[in-house]
Amino acid sequence: LGNPLLRFVLVTLAWLPVAFAVWYVLAPVILFPVQLIVRGVLAGAFADLVRTLEAHGATLSFVTTLRPGEARAGGVLTVDVNMLLYAFGLPLFAALTLAARQARMWRALLIGYLAMLPFIAWGVLADFLKNIAITAPPLVASQAGFGPRQRDIIAFAYQFGSLILPAVVPAVAWVLTHRAFLEGLRARRVVSSS
Amino acid sequence: MVRFFVLFVTLLALLFALELTPWVQAYFVVPWTNALAAISTSIVTVFDANVIASGKVIRSVTNGFAVSIEAGCNGVEATIVLLAAIFAFPAPWRHKLIGIAIGIVAVQALNVVRVISLFYIGQWDHAVFEWAHQYVWQALIMLDVLIVWLIWVRRIPRADDLPPPAAPPELAAG
Repeated sequence: LGNPLLRFVLVTLAWLPVAFAVWYVLAPVILFPVQLIVRGVLAGAFADLVRTLEAHGATLSFVTTLRPGEARAGGVLTVDVNMLLYAFGLPLFAALTLAARQARMWRALLIGYLAMLPFIAWGVLADFLKNIAITAPPLVASQAGFGPRQRDIIAFAYQFGSLILPAVVPAVAWVLTHRAFLEGLRARRVVSSS
Repeated sequence: MVRFFVLFVTLLALLFALELTPWVQAYFVVPWTNALAAISTSIVTVFDANVIASGKVIRSVTNGFAVSIEAGCNGVEATIVLLAAIFAFPAPWRHKLIGIAIGIVAVQALNVVRVISLFYIGQWDHAVFEWAHQYVWQALIMLDVLIVWLIWVRRIPRADDLPPPAAPPELAAG
């Protein structure tokens, strides 16, 4: 294990199952701030669409003001979103940070965690909006009141928030909080190859 | 670092938007996803002859279990992230092109492992399949992209690695 990069990768892989286990068990606590961000955005921008937001473990239930259909006039439409789908970057970031073991490791963990929360909220909100504006039956989608351009924006926000951000944000956060570690990796290669 | 970060995010958004266009979907993403299913199936049939590919679907003819390779599992997004990271980082173009060529192979090779492993995990246990599919493999593929990028960054010659420029003739002569 003379190669520092190989050692780093192996230690990261060793930490990953531990980080995933902690993340899964503590998800309702770890993701509580996401719930607060989502509540804030809903209150500010979508108060007319969502009556209440309920949390069941790591799942957020959006109880909407939309009616499921004419035949069930008394019902309300509820959309469930699994926050874990947008938060798998947290254990990845934790494993990378624990493997790097640079000075102020806990500070880096906290910064990365805080930096990732808004992007997890992005994914959750975009998932909800995609459900009511795009994949819902026309009768429901029409009640939501989004125009064609807004639906395009929601579709892009959902795709970007589900396919790119959950994976990229932890990597970017790790790179930005470990610049000294990266410089060290490069410097050690120069020394070892000279 | 700021220049790299801004360029990376810009390239990422542009490449992803390009990926979503109907033209790129029709002429690149769909054929690529079908090819990925065919490549994965051809590897699987070395030890399990009862597997067939149909478009982007891999199916077991023994028990009927099938997986469909959807967006996010075809490795296209991971490749886009790698392309943006390599293009955004300051390096000679020759190194960028070599990094992209080798990096794409490395990312797609692990993605084939992901597809094949999920195909068999799904036949074994649905709950484990969901976990592996939605969380674990997503993290591992991104880790793969990061490792490839780190290896590439380590191999870029630094300015102070280069030999000093030759002295001007008049000075060398003196």
